[in-house]
Amino acid sequence: MDRECVSLLPSVCEVLADSGRSLPDDTSLEKLLDWFTWLTKAGGSQLEACPCLLEFIFAVVGNTASDPGVLSFALKLTGLLAATVDGFRMLQERSVLDLVFNHQRWQEAGLWEDPCLRIGWIQGLKNMLQHPKALGFFVKSDFIDPLLQLQTDSSLFVASAANQMLAHILLFFQRVSSAGCNGVNKNKDDRRTQTSITEHPAATVDTIAEYTAVLVAITEYLKESLVPKENLHQSLQILKLLSMLLAQAGPPLWDKLLQTVGDSLEELVTVSCSQLTLPLMDVILAAHSDTVHTARAVRILLLPLDIITGKTLLGTNTTADEHRFSMVEQLKSKTSCISIICACLTNTPQITLMPPDVLPCPPDLIVTAVLSLLRICSGISSSAGCSEACRNLIGSGKVQKCALEALTALNNSPGVKEKINDVFTVLIHYLDNPDSDPTVLHKSYQVLVKWTSVCTDLSFITDQLKQDLVEVVKKRVCDMRWEVRDSTVEFLGHLAGVHVFLKSPGEVRDACQALLGGCCTTPLLREALQDTESYVRASAISALAKTQARSWQQGEGLSQEETEIVSRLLEILSQDTEGFSRRAVVRYFIAWFSSCSSNSPPSSSTSLQMQCVRSVLSQGSADLDWEVKVHTLELAELLLDEAFSAHRGYRKCSDTHQAPSHPYGVVSDRAYTPHTHTGSRTKGVESDLARVLNSLVEQGVFSALLSGLVDCDRPVGLKACRLLITLRDTVCPLSLGALDATTATVSCELPSWSWGQEIRKILGKRKSDEARGQRSFSGAEEVDSEDCSVMQEACSVSVCEVLRSLSLDERLDVLTQSSDHVHNSPLSLLQDILTASAAHTHSDTQQAGQEVIVDCY
Amino acid sequence: MLDCGLDTTSVLNFLPLPLVHSPRLSKLPGWVSKDGTLNLEKELKECTGRVFVDSQPEFCLPERELLDLSTIDVILISNYHCMMALPYITEHTGFTGTVYATEPTLQIGRLLMEELVNFMERVPKAQSATCWKNKEIQRLLPGPLKDAVDVWTWKRCYSMQEVNSALSKVQLVGYSQKVELFGAVQVSPLSSGYSLGSSNWIIQSHHEKVSYVSGSSLLTTHPQPMDQSSLKNSDVLILTGLTQMPTANPDGMLGEFCSNLAMTIRAGGNVLVPCYSSGVIYDLLECLYQFIESANLGTTPFYFISPVANSSLEFSQIFAEWLCHNKQSKVYLPEPPFPHAELIQTNKLKHYPSIHGDFSSEFRQPCVVFTGHPSLRFGDVVHFMELWGKSSLNTIIFTEPDFSYLDALAPYQPLAMKCVYCPIDTRLNFHQVSKLLKEVQPLHVVCPEQYTQPPLTQSHRSDLMLELQPPPMPYRRCSVLNLPFRRRYERVYILPELANSLVPSEIKPGISLATVSAVLHSKDNKHTLQSVPKPPPMPPSKKRKRVIEEPPVVLAPKPLLSGAVPLEAFLSTLQKHGITEVKVEETADGHILHLQAEDTLIQLEEDGTHIVCDNNEPLRTTLRDLVLRFLQKL
Repeated sequence: MDRECVSLLPSVCEVLADSGRSLPDDTSLEKLLDWFTWLTKAGGSQLEACPCLLEFIFAVVGNTASDPGVLSFALKLTGLLAATVDGFRMLQERSVLDLVFNHQRWQEAGLWEDPCLRIGWIQGLKNMLQHPKALGFFVKSDFIDPLLQLQTDSSLFVASAANQMLAHILLFFQRVSSAGCNGVNKNKDDRRTQTSITEHPAATVDTIAEYTAVLVAITEYLKESLVPKENLHQSLQILKLLSMLLAQAGPPLWDKLLQTVGDSLEELVTVSCSQLTLPLMDVILAAHSDTVHTARAVRILLLPLDIITGKTLLGTNTTADEHRFSMVEQLKSKTSCISIICACLTNTPQITLMPPDVLPCPPDLIVTAVLSLLRICSGISSSAGCSEACRNLIGSGKVQKCALEALTALNNSPGVKEKINDVFTVLIHYLDNPDSDPTVLHKSYQVLVKWTSVCTDLSFITDQLKQDLVEVVKKRVCDMRWEVRDSTVEFLGHLAGVHVFLKSPGEVRDACQALLGGCCTTPLLREALQDTESYVRASAISALAKTQARSWQQGEGLSQEETEIVSRLLEILSQDTEGFSRRAVVRYFIAWFSSCSSNSPPSSSTSLQMQCVRSVLSQGSADLDWEVKVHTLELAELLLDEAFSAHRGYRKCSDTHQAPSHPYGVVSDRAYTPHTHTGSRTKGVESDLARVLNSLVEQGVFSALLSGLVDCDRPVGLKACRLLITLRDTVCPLSLGALDATTATVSCELPSWSWGQEIRKILGKRKSDEARGQRSFSGAEEVDSEDCSVMQEACSVSVCEVLRSLSLDERLDVLTQSSDHVHNSPLSLLQDILTASAAHTHSDTQQAGQEVIVDCY
Repeated sequence: MLDCGLDTTSVLNFLPLPLVHSPRLSKLPGWVSKDGTLNLEKELKECTGRVFVDSQPEFCLPERELLDLSTIDVILISNYHCMMALPYITEHTGFTGTVYATEPTLQIGRLLMEELVNFMERVPKAQSATCWKNKEIQRLLPGPLKDAVDVWTWKRCYSMQEVNSALSKVQLVGYSQKVELFGAVQVSPLSSGYSLGSSNWIIQSHHEKVSYVSGSSLLTTHPQPMDQSSLKNSDVLILTGLTQMPTANPDGMLGEFCSNLAMTIRAGGNVLVPCYSSGVIYDLLECLYQFIESANLGTTPFYFISPVANSSLEFSQIFAEWLCHNKQSKVYLPEPPFPHAELIQTNKLKHYPSIHGDFSSEFRQPCVVFTGHPSLRFGDVVHFMELWGKSSLNTIIFTEPDFSYLDALAPYQPLAMKCVYCPIDTRLNFHQVSKLLKEVQPLHVVCPEQYTQPPLTQSHRSDLMLELQPPPMPYRRCSVLNLPFRRRYERVYILPELANSLVPSEIKPGISLATVSAVLHSKDNKHTLQSVPKPPPMPPSKKRKRVIEEPPVVLAPKPLLSGAVPLEAFLSTLQKHGITEVKVEETADGHILHLQAEDTLIQLEEDGTHIVCDNNEPLRTTLRDLVLRFLQKL
């Protein structure tokens, strides 16, 4: 905590403790809490640094007339302060914890009614429960019972917080009680349990006993409360808690939970209350452990799909038959049918990846069932399954989307690649269906791309299917709905990015060419460049880049058509009214430039590139859209990288590390590590550098960077500044001392308007500062007749001189700070609280009848 | 008679009538049976395996054998598509009734009939083919000609004279206007939302109501929205005219239409849209008006070719009060309600009466042509099929659901032109009509048998049928149905002086009863109760008095009794009158009281009381009077 904040904190505490004072806004307390949370995580004892906090807690908690929001804040803050062992001890010694968390006291004062306070109590305790001592306090204070009661609180937020609190207690401290188990952590990703071990390796016997007590209390509660058809809300809450726990619990806890609630869960499944079906399925999925249970869970999950499609997914095993009748009844109701089948579909990809001994059928049969379901949904085929359930699904967009998402993920399942023809057939039907809504079409395209990317041998796809796909793409590119046109154009681009093998060995093509033929895609995309919707134009440009990527990489020359495309794109960059399209154009050129390597032989492509680059840099850096400018600078960066690739001293701007982000954007560390150049350079190196620098100036790279440096959009300025520093450190590093004569001769034009004017001002100010310094020695005034800052027309300046005169490092420091770093700092927050309080006090003391004039702006 | 639509699907069995001589059609081989015994080369031509009749196309007339058309008093017309058979009904059949229709129905129906006659008359065919209709011969023909039914009833198109005569019998009605039919019933058209002036009909008496729901739509297209609330409280609802394309969503079809059109034009091809001259074409033009700019088709010309094109486009603009609210309000701006006015003004849409004349000199390609007839058997569409059929760049887009597009294309095969089928049928589908019926809750629903089972081609689609409780009454062709309700009540008027003489007694709260003696006067189905005329006084006579005949004694009518005899109270009354030994026996209809000492039975029933008392008249009258105490005299 910095000194200024420490000095303001006592006054702020005083304000908060005074219930009559107002706060700047509703979020002030939350922001304060966030700050304290960050400070706690960063380490250090806040109590020692700010003893006023303790006084604040006493003042607020002792005054039952305090604002409930402030009380809640005080409870949460207490928990935070007690999250460290030292903090806990200090607060215990002062009996603060007993006072603050005594819920009976709050009930007697009538404050427990306010959900705000209950939330504060729960979250305060949760903040505190980070070490065994806190657990001991929790158990000794008998907090488990009120916490369990809060699980079914009338306020959903309180109930949810209580749920999470219970989960936290069980999971955070679970390793404490794992003495005696085989030590295998079921959930290897549960970092929390790992952390709890390292932080508190010395778990005492008392702690184990306390945890056991809590565990027993909670499990007993779960067992008693999971009663079918009584208190639905309670059962729902418990099922949510169970699925949370089972997904993360380690073996002893996991075993204990299942042992306790297993029977109740079975009973719930049998009773089959429709509102509990989905949460039950989540629990079943989280509960899978051994093969028997997992296999059973898989059968229950696949049962709806089996019933509706009539595909024998469950084999001859009749274990799931006991549930079949109740499931059929649920599927006859439209609402529950759709929910259940969606839950089933969501889990099918995961199911197909399970070991074969757990699956009731091979994964490709599940894919067949999903395809069958898609056909049922579009009404094109009947089913051997339950016709009443099928009727509920015809035309259901929700089920279609869910099934398509499942199909996307199923492409990775073993043994399903042979299904590609069937998959294509169904997808083309959906793409062709006039009733498919834009989202369904979009997902159908996604599925196509996914399956094409895994089934890279497309010889299975029949010519008829390819022809049908061509026709449907041509139609959809002309669709009335812009979303459909956009999805189609995007699809073409994504497809072009997938590489497939053809019949002749070693021959690789992009999937777009392989599926749609070479003469189809580019004309469609060119047509889409004139679409009235800017998103479609932008997608068309991106797709064009992807379709041409391969030929660029291979260094092929540009065809007439491709040359025309480039001209059209330059027109878009200069004339299109929408930023999306213009951004896409610059990205196109970035993709093009980055695909063509410097080792490729010169071709029509490279010569056209050189012709375009100046135009793109010039127009892009003058664009009104800041993202276009950032992309233009990315292009400039590419050119820099390319130009200096052979130079040893060059370090790419992207290699520098980013500053760590701070919640309130306070001044960060330097954004880059400057490259230190040691020693001098040879004449040959210098002339090489000068040549490269000259070419960059001619290409317009330097102008683009300067233009970006003085841009009013921070991301543009930041990027340009970093690139200029990189350039400076390459051609004229500060460590070299005086400028080399060769590189110093490289000059560039500074226009007399726009960015040129700004740069001149900066240069002029620097010169006048220097001159002032010199005058203080010599006493004489000197006027530089070649001072650009006073010249009206364009003037020529040395690039190196400019690079050294722009105070780039200081500028970078300023630019790295976020735009709201002052506004969102903790100091600002504390000042706002004090100011609001002062304004409130002032208005209280104002005489009646005096009007307070507030400037709305 | 409810509607008189014309089944035009029979024309699909005939060869197209080309406006311009078609070498292809004229060179089609004649049909000869496989064994060579039957040679109908002059009547029948073959084209890619199908056989077509080479004569003027004929229509399948409405069923007439069950009905003597001269006995029909009234024909109610729902919309202009349902009156194309009117001349066949009203002309040369002895029909003397009246036809009721809304004005747009009449005017646009007239246009469609004129167009039809024009299409036929401008390409006359001298010969008529009749041999093939011979039963023995027909059964030897290949299908579908072999399977055509009632071919002897097929007739050529009527003449303009017959059209004018038929339409002269039409009386115009407005929405919700009540028309009295012979005093027996009232009929009233309601907006059905399907096309300009389209109606559903209410046929009602004072106490019964029958609704006739024909082509109706809930979509927000150009006509006035459907009036649903007036259909409530119907005893019977006759339902017909549902969508022929229950799986084809009109919005989706419209999208298909536009995307296929754009795809074709961009590729440099022409688009042919066979359609009727009124109806969906207005919606298509309105949709294209919005679409063409966004699809960069602003320079593509649109042509509408029909002998009635100009009239159709103009009529659509003048029937403002029959349009939906949005379009009606435009009239007050003033702006034309339909955007095709602007398309015409900006020369994006041009209309011509036929391909001859100005069209041939102004025609540019690629273009979009809207023209008739959707059957592809007559009209200017035939010429365009011949002209454009050979190129795969061109596309024909079918939007009318009345004809199977494959059958329509059959005589043009082999065809390089692309064919797209996106039928736009805005009428109610099964889901919508189920909701409607739940809302209006008629006591009985009567509908075609086809609606009570899934379509033949999609037998698994159990959602494409009507499932109602109670189930609807299905009807099929030539079946006679007894509608499940009877006319039980008639309204009778009572003259004021007679009404003044009535003495009503309240027999139940809110219900009073009075007896009346009067003379019932019925004329033109109107019934009036009038006072019984007093006999005129005898005039004084100078002649010898004869035996004066006593005037007939007019007995006063016996008073009516109403009420019920409460058992306990009656027993108590009997007791008070010294009758104590009473045995009560319960029967199905009431009670029997055995007065044992008096050897008398009193039978108390719901609608009568009998006192069985042998030879004891005083007792009988006493008991009678006791019973009467509990009843009301009217």
